[in-house]
Amino acid sequence: MAVATAPPARVAPRHSAREISRSRALNRFKWSIRAPLILLFSLVLTPVLLLQLYFSFHEWTVYLGSWWEAEFVGIDLFKEVLTDERFGWAIVRSLGFAMGSTIGCFVIGFALAYLMYEPFRGSAIYYIIFILPMLTVPIVVAYTAEMLLYQSGPVNDVISRLLGVDFKPAWLTDPKVAMPAVTLLEIWNWTPFSFIIMLAGLSSIPREPIEAAQILGASRWRIFWEVQLPLLRPVILLALVLRFLEAMAEFPKTWALFQGGPGSSTETIPVYIFLTTWQYFQISKGAALSYVAMILMVVIVLLAIQLLRREKRALDAMYSSKTEAAD
Amino acid sequence: MTVARITRRVFAEGGLGLTILNLMPFSKFSQALAQSTPEERVIAAAKGLTPTDVTGIIWSPYLVPMQPVIADFKKATGIGVGAVQDISIFDTPQRAMAEALSRSPQFDFIHIDSNMIPSLASAGYLEPLDEYMKKADFKIDAVADYATFMTFKGNTYGIPTDGNVHIQYVRKDLIENPDNKKKYADKYGKELKFPETWEEEYQIQETLMDPSKDLYGSGSLRNRANGPTWWYMMLYSAGGFPFDDEMKPTLNTPAGQYAVETYLREKKVAHPESGGWGTPQMIPRIAGGNVVACQYWDGTAKLNENPEKSKTAGKWLYGLVPGSDFSGKRIHRSISSPLAALLINKYSPRKAQAAYLALWLASGKNSIPIVSDRVNTFHDAWAKAHMTAEPVIKSYSAAGIKAIEANFQVVSPPVYLTGYLEFQDTLGKNLSEAYVGQLPAKDVLTKTENEWAAIVRRIGQRKLKEELASYKALMPKRDRPA
Amino acid sequence: MTKSRSRRITAIIRYTVLTIWAIVAFFPIYWMISTSFKIDTQWFAWPPVYFPDPPTLSNYLNVWLGAQEYASTQYAISSQTPLVSLLNSTIIATTSTLLAVVFGAVIAYGVSRYKILSEARMFQLLMLRMIPPIVVVAPLSLYYSALGLLDTMFGLILIYFLTNLPYAVWMTKSFIDEVPREIEQAAEILGASRWRTIFEVVLPLIRSGLVATFLFILILTWSEYLLALILSKTNVATLPVELSKYQGTTEGKVYGRQAALAVGITVPLMIVGLIIRKHLARGFSFGMVRR
Repeated sequence: MAVATAPPARVAPRHSAREISRSRALNRFKWSIRAPLILLFSLVLTPVLLLQLYFSFHEWTVYLGSWWEAEFVGIDLFKEVLTDERFGWAIVRSLGFAMGSTIGCFVIGFALAYLMYEPFRGSAIYYIIFILPMLTVPIVVAYTAEMLLYQSGPVNDVISRLLGVDFKPAWLTDPKVAMPAVTLLEIWNWTPFSFIIMLAGLSSIPREPIEAAQILGASRWRIFWEVQLPLLRPVILLALVLRFLEAMAEFPKTWALFQGGPGSSTETIPVYIFLTTWQYFQISKGAALSYVAMILMVVIVLLAIQLLRREKRALDAMYSSKTEAAD
Repeated sequence: MTVARITRRVFAEGGLGLTILNLMPFSKFSQALAQSTPEERVIAAAKGLTPTDVTGIIWSPYLVPMQPVIADFKKATGIGVGAVQDISIFDTPQRAMAEALSRSPQFDFIHIDSNMIPSLASAGYLEPLDEYMKKADFKIDAVADYATFMTFKGNTYGIPTDGNVHIQYVRKDLIENPDNKKKYADKYGKELKFPETWEEEYQIQETLMDPSKDLYGSGSLRNRANGPTWWYMMLYSAGGFPFDDEMKPTLNTPAGQYAVETYLREKKVAHPESGGWGTPQMIPRIAGGNVVACQYWDGTAKLNENPEKSKTAGKWLYGLVPGSDFSGKRIHRSISSPLAALLINKYSPRKAQAAYLALWLASGKNSIPIVSDRVNTFHDAWAKAHMTAEPVIKSYSAAGIKAIEANFQVVSPPVYLTGYLEFQDTLGKNLSEAYVGQLPAKDVLTKTENEWAAIVRRIGQRKLKEELASYKALMPKRDRPA
Repeated sequence: MTKSRSRRITAIIRYTVLTIWAIVAFFPIYWMISTSFKIDTQWFAWPPVYFPDPPTLSNYLNVWLGAQEYASTQYAISSQTPLVSLLNSTIIATTSTLLAVVFGAVIAYGVSRYKILSEARMFQLLMLRMIPPIVVVAPLSLYYSALGLLDTMFGLILIYFLTNLPYAVWMTKSFIDEVPREIEQAAEILGASRWRTIFEVVLPLIRSGLVATFLFILILTWSEYLLALILSKTNVATLPVELSKYQGTTEGKVYGRQAALAVGITVPLMIVGLIIRKHLARGFSFGMVRR
C-alpha cells in the first residue's frame, strides 16, 4: 500500500541535489493542494464558529440594537439551555427518531437485500423501484405525505379496505402518532440507502466460506448466522452509523409537515433550534443551543468515526484480498 | 422584415411621446386644482421621483389582484413593481426580521401582518410614513378606528391592504330548519337564533352537528399557529388584558381561565383532526358545508358566496362574533390578525417610491377592485369606501359587508408589542398542547405567564412599558357596535 | 422432489415480500404523479380519488408556464414561473458539484498517493459533513450578509461546494485507489509533471467514477432545502424553496399544483439516480462500500 508515500528525503541520510529538488517539488505539490483546502475552510468556517461562540456568551436582543453591542452574559445562556426542559425533550425525540428510523431502515433494507443478492428474474426492476424513494427530494416527500396521510386519505383508506376494519389514525394531528409518522416517512425515504449498502455488502462476500459450509451440510440459517453475518459486520455498522447521523440532522420533512406541532410533539433538535433562531429571533439562545447540539453531535460522530475507522480497515482488507484473489 | 421593425419602432416612440404629452398638462393641472382626488395627489407627490421598479416581499395571491392597479401607477409615474420574494404571509414575519437584522436595503417594501410593526420598528427597519402622507395629503380612511392599527409610538408605519377581520359564520339553512329549532328549544328552552355569546354558539354547534353526515359543530381553528387568534377574542370579551401596567403578564386571571375553558370546550364539537388543521384544510370544509358555525376571516364569505366554488352559496348568516357576559357586562371583541399591510424599509434607496405606491394602492377608489377580486380572495374590505361600493357588496353579499362593518367597530389586535412572534408562539404552543391533551388545561396560563415574563425580561420591561400605550390605543372603545 | 418444492416456496416468498415493498415504495410516488394530473376537486377528496378522472394538464401549464386561464379557475399563480428557479437550481447544483468533484479528485489523488492528509484528517473532513447544518446557519447568514454573499449564486455555490467536498474526496479516492500506480509512474518517467499526470492520466482513467461522483453529489445538492431557504431571497431561489411557498392558500392546499411542481423537481433526480444506480452504495457510504 504505502510504496510511493515514503518521501525519499527522510529515508536517505545523504541525498543528491536531484533528490532534494524532487522532494521540494513534492512538498510544493502537497502544499498547493493543502493550502487552498485549509484557506477555504478557515475563511468560511472560522468566522462562523467564532460568531457562534460570541453569540453564545452575549445576549443579543435583536429589537434593541446591533449584534456587536450585545451584552456579555457569561455562561448564563448555557445555564438556560442546559436546564431547558423543551431542549431536553427535543434531544430525547431526536434520539428516538434517529434510532427508530435507523433500525427500521436497516431491518427492511437488510431483508430486501437478502432476498435480492442472488440474481433472479426481475431483480433489476425491483432494484429500480426500491431505490426510487431515496431519489425523491425530502421536501417533496413531506408534501406528498400530507396528501397521503390525512385521516380519510388514501393510506388509511387502502389499509382499511385491506384489513376490512376501520383504520383511522390521525397521522398528522394526533400528537401521539405525529412522531411515529415522521419516523415511518424517514424509513420509507431511506430504506433504499440501507438496502443498496447491504446489497453491495452481501454480493461482495467471498463465496468460498459459504460453499464450504454448504458442503459440510450446514443449514441456511446457520450459514447466515455463523458465516455471512460476521463477514458483513463492517458493512452493517457502516449502514447503521451513517443513517443514524443523517437522521439526527433531519429537518425538511419534520419542519414542512409539522413545524413542531401538534402541541410540541415533533420538536426535534433541528426544529427547536430553527424555531428559537428564526421564529423567536433569540439568536443568542439559538447559538448556545447550537453549541450544545454540536458538542453532542461531535461526541456521537467521534464515537462513530472510531467505529468507522476500524470497520473501514476491515473492509479495505476484504476488498484487497478479493482483488489479490482475482489476480 | 425591416419595414415591419421600423414601423413598430416608430409606433412605439410615437406612443411614448403621446403618453408624455398626455401626462404633462395633467400634472400641472393637479397642482393647480385645489379639489383634486386622492389618487391625483399621490401621483403629484410621486412625480419628482426617479421612475423605477421597486421590489419587496409579498405573496403572489396578494400581488396578483394588485397588478392592474400597479400598472396604472406605472403608467402615471413610471414607478412599478419588479421581481418580488414570493412567500406565504405566514412565513413573512421571519423573513422580514432576518432582513431587519442585516439592515439590508434589498427590499423596498414588505407586505406583512401589521402586528410586526412594533418589532420591526424597534429593530430600526421601518420608515415612518407620516411625511409622505402629509405631502400627498393622504388619509387612511378606514372603518371605525382601524387606522390606529397602523401606528406605533405616534408614527404611522403601515398602509393597510387587507382588513382580515373575524366575523361570525352560521349556517342559515340549519338554524332555520324547523326540526333543528324544535330540537334546540326542547334542549335549552329558548329559540334557536343567531348566537350572541360563546355559550350560545357552543349550544348551537353541539345541537346541530352530525358527525355521521360529516357535519361538525365548529370550523374555528385550533392549530398551533392560528389558535391564539381565537383565544384573544375570548380573553378580551371576558374583560381580560394580557398585561398590567408594569408589564407583568396577567393571563392567569378569571378572565384568562374563562377564555381557556371556552377555547378548549370546542374540541367536543370540532372535527377530530382540528388540532392540526389550518386554513388550507378548514376553508374547504366551511365552504363545503361541513361546518355549523364558526368565527373566521371575512374573506371566506367571498368564497362561500361564489356559487362556482362553494356548495353553500346563499346558505350563510353573517354577523358579529360572540361576546361574553363574564365581566358583568356584555362585551364583544373581534380580531384582525394577520392584518396585511405594506411597510417600507428605512434602508431602501427607493423608499419614497415604495411609499407612494403603497398610498396609491390604498386609496378608496384603487383598493375597491383589489378587495373585491373573486378569484384571489385574500384582500378583504377595510376602507369606509368599501362598505358602500357595489363590487365589494356583490362579492361579500350585503349581509357579509354589514357583518364586516359591525366587527370592525370592536376589532382588537393580538399582543401589539415588540417580540410579537415570541409572545404568539409560546401562547400558541401551550394552547395547542392543551388542545391535543399534552398539557393539563390548568397549566396553560401559568406556563405561558412564566414564559412571557422571561420574554419581557429579555426585551426589557421599561421598553415594553413605553409601548403599552400604543397597544392599548388599538383596543376598541366600545363594548359592542353602535 | 422436496428440493424443487422448497425452491418454489422460497421463490414465492421472495416475490411476495419484494412485491409488497415495491408497492409501498412506489405508492407515494404514484400518488404524487396522479395528483399532478387531477382537477382541483379531487386533490383532497373524501373518499380519496385514486385515478385522475378526467386527467388534466392544467396543473403543469399553470405552475410551469404560468398559464393564466388555469389560474382563474381557482388559484392564484406565482408572480414568477418556476422555470427561473429551475435555471437557478441547475446552475447552482452543476457548478458547485463540478467544482467539488474536480477539487475533490485532486485532493483524493494527493491522499491516495502522497498521504497529504492523514487518515485522522480525512475523518475530520468527513465530520464536517456529519454535523447538522442547522447548527451553523444563523451565524453563517450573518457572515454572508456582511460579505454581501446573501442571495447570490456565488454564496450558494460556495457553501454547497464546501459541504459536498468531503463526499467528493472520499468517493473519488475510492476510485483512485483502484487505479494501478504503474501507469502514472510511466507517465512520470516520461517527464510529465504531477499536475499533468493527474489531469491527463489519472482522472481520465476513472472517468466513469467521476461521472458517478458528479451525479451523486448533484442529487444531494439538488434536493438541499435548509441552506437554500436561509441563504437565498429573490435572486437565487432554488426549486425546493420554490415548492414551499405553495404551503397554504385560502381555498385549501393547492396539492395538484404542488404535485406538478414536485414531479418536475423529482423526475430529473430519479433519472440521474437511475443512471448511476450501480454507484449509489459507494457514494452514500463515502466510498467505503464498493461493489
